[in-house]
Amino acid sequence: MTNHFLILTIFALLVSTAFALLMRQDPKDQLRFGILAFVCFLGSAFVIGWLMYPFPS
Amino acid sequence: MRAKEETQERPATAGIPVAVSAWLVPGLGHLMLGRTRRALTFFLVVTGMFALGLYLRGELFPLDTSEPLTFLAGLAEIGVGLPFFAARLLGMGSGEVTALTYEYGYTFCIVAGLLNMLIMLDAYDIAVGRKS
Repeated sequence: MTNHFLILTIFALLVSTAFALLMRQDPKDQLRFGILAFVCFLGSAFVIGWLMYPFPS
Repeated sequence: MRAKEETQERPATAGIPVAVSAWLVPGLGHLMLGRTRRALTFFLVVTGMFALGLYLRGELFPLDTSEPLTFLAGLAEIGVGLPFFAARLLGMGSGEVTALTYEYGYTFCIVAGLLNMLIMLDAYDIAVGRKS
């Protein structure tokens, strides 16, 4: 498995799930928090990725 | 003070068996406290993440005190509990530095260990009545 985006998505999904269950008690709050954390993980990766785009590899 | 009114605090030692169990087997602490759904989710998340880390050619770092970062990484990975020792016994986690996914692999293993430490503290807090 060398698809970087897939690995990133799996990582974000697993960590968001654990954080949601640890930080929220109510199932509805857990779902909301989990989705928000997941989107923030992916969103920040995209933003940082584009910020690094001008730099040579 | 308000927290004490809401939950009944128990002696700190009451949480030790739960914390040790939670460290050894991810999710077992919550299972002992009757939180089955959470226990199962934590087990799947932590062991899944650790297994994926090994699959991605990650490394199980030694507790080498001459290399502070290696020592800390090893300490974090031990947080996974029995799966870590089982993987070591089976000769897994030697790490393939030249593999494209090597860094991803050890990151997954380290984060799995750190997550299990947080889960262990959560189980301890519930066991001693600090958290509902």
